[in-house]
Amino acid sequence: MDFDWSPEDAAFRSDLKAFLEAELPPDFDAFAMDPPDQKVFSKAFAAKLAERRWLTPAWPREYGGLEQSAWQQLILSEEMVAHGEPRTAQYMCVNWVGPALIMAGDEDQKAYHLQRISRGDVVWCQGFSEPGAGSDLANLRTKAVWDGDDYVITGEKVWTSYADTADYCFLLARTDPEARKHHGISIFLVPTNAPGLTISEIPSIFPKGAFNQCVFDGVRAPASWRLGPENGGWPIIRKLLVNERVGVARFRRANTTLDRVAKAAREAGLFDDPVVCEALAKAQAACDAARVLIYRVVDQRAKQQIPEVTAYVYRVATIRAERAVYEATMEVEGAGGLLRGSHSATQGFHALSAGTATGTLEMQLNLIAREVIGAAAAGR
Amino acid sequence: MDMDLNETQSVIHDACSKLLARRAGPARARELRKTDDFDRLLMIEMDEAGFLDLFYEPDAGPLAGALITEWAASAAALAPIGARVLVAPSVMGDRLPLVIAIADRTNLAAVRFAAEADLLILVDGDEASVAGRGAFEATSVRTKFGFPMARVENVQGTPLLASAGATVKRWWRVSLAAEIAGAARSAVDLTIRYLQDRVQFDRPIASYQAIQHRLVECHVLADAAQWSMREAAFHGAPAELAAGAAVTACEAAHRLFYELHQLSGAIGFTSEYDLHLFTMRLQALRIEMNGVRGHARALVEARWPAAG
Repeated sequence: MDFDWSPEDAAFRSDLKAFLEAELPPDFDAFAMDPPDQKVFSKAFAAKLAERRWLTPAWPREYGGLEQSAWQQLILSEEMVAHGEPRTAQYMCVNWVGPALIMAGDEDQKAYHLQRISRGDVVWCQGFSEPGAGSDLANLRTKAVWDGDDYVITGEKVWTSYADTADYCFLLARTDPEARKHHGISIFLVPTNAPGLTISEIPSIFPKGAFNQCVFDGVRAPASWRLGPENGGWPIIRKLLVNERVGVARFRRANTTLDRVAKAAREAGLFDDPVVCEALAKAQAACDAARVLIYRVVDQRAKQQIPEVTAYVYRVATIRAERAVYEATMEVEGAGGLLRGSHSATQGFHALSAGTATGTLEMQLNLIAREVIGAAAAGR
Repeated sequence: MDMDLNETQSVIHDACSKLLARRAGPARARELRKTDDFDRLLMIEMDEAGFLDLFYEPDAGPLAGALITEWAASAAALAPIGARVLVAPSVMGDRLPLVIAIADRTNLAAVRFAAEADLLILVDGDEASVAGRGAFEATSVRTKFGFPMARVENVQGTPLLASAGATVKRWWRVSLAAEIAGAARSAVDLTIRYLQDRVQFDRPIASYQAIQHRLVECHVLADAAQWSMREAAFHGAPAELAAGAAVTACEAAHRLFYELHQLSGAIGFTSEYDLHLFTMRLQALRIEMNGVRGHARALVEARWPAAG
């Protein structure tokens, strides 16, 4: 058991931090930008990262990566979110769209898409959830029917972050309505300007552009848009969802917010207030717990094991951290936290979304229960 | 970075686990509690096996001491192991008596193992002193909270080096977190096993999702306490990580007390069932050093110090 970073990992973090501090203004937060500005900014920034192969450092060298270790992937994620996540939606392309293409794409798909992703030229969105398929993702009903020339895609996707600015949608659709639900699903790589695809914002309490609806009304998809075998999408997705669950070092972004709020509390003389003191400490301890629990996940990855329970435990811990930081911001900012742009207002959004995005808290608890309590007692 | 035990740690784990399986455990703890005693025999065996003096061993170090403290607590060992393997060595080197108690001058009403201690470490702010037998008075007090405790008075201590109190407090926090982590793990595992077996309405209680979620939340809290403590011990108990580990551990201890007893029902209140051997201790541990309030103050001062 060893909690020291290797010299190579420490050097990578140091170089990365120096680069980010030179390129970004202090207290930068990409999520405070409007979606169109965000897209322009992130593309330009991703290109700078791509010059150093830091946009896709975990990928194989032949696809524009550096074959970096699982630990350096974590460092990259931590430092990016700590500096306001200047890649914005690009993290999704890097963490699992690209790896999905590498895992299941044909040579043409790899040649076309991977270079664009590794250069930061494109933004992807994730066409997973539907009105009737949230946590129960395999219940999706969007269908892709082969008519002899193309698949014809019909259906509706919801809660699709970044769809309003994305160039491509990584879409799940049912290609065999007769098969048991996990067995009839295929993946499609759909350009968002495809005729028949309409994208509109779902107004919400979250920042503008957070949620979108994507209506597929007879979108024609050639076979070349299908990723992997027909009806063989689920095994690919299952593997990738583990990546997505741990893909973003949320605790680190939350910790950055906490540091800023604590500084304000210190300057305002609030450290003597025991309620504020405990709220700050509990939030910091929760961020640290999430950080150390992700180490177990990364350790398994580094040893070529597939993280399961450790990944779900980390997710639960990081949700706790997001919520604890929100509580701390509210205690420190008081009524000022109600104002637009306050730490509380922003952190409230993250604290709420943490428990629903990329698999709900309850799904994580179910998955842990299956392993820790056991399938028999869990009634499965 | 490596989250698995290394070769040395694995050897220590195997040997220590065997000793604890032979000498500690709930039955032994229950027997000792009948006479309000503590496990001197276990301490002697651990000392003879070399488990109490790993703090300065190059291949083992404080993390090994923290792991032993955690494993011993998990085995319901009724002995002040953390004080001996982590706290005392941090300020007194490696020539130590067997049984050591730690107290804070602001809280002397119920000090764990004080009546049995060969040596008392007394913390007073950032300073600390030590008092051998005869240099302090310890009067046993009655308690249901799982440990022998005593009221401490008239301490005639010898001061340790300047600022030793701060060092003691850092390691004391890691030691507390290790004890909580071990007890929490056993309490959660015991409750899971019980609810897997206990059938109500023709189903194991553990098959109800409402129950599963609560159990799993407890499991996650125990994991958080365990790994936060291990990291703090590895890095030498820096003030921020030590206090953070203690906050996380105390929050786990707080939540588990209610949850595990609630989930276990009335059997959890009985002396014959093992749960109280862990949960009652968790309560004593979570209020030591002024509990979350004290750890929280230490954490914010370490992470966000006043300018200048």
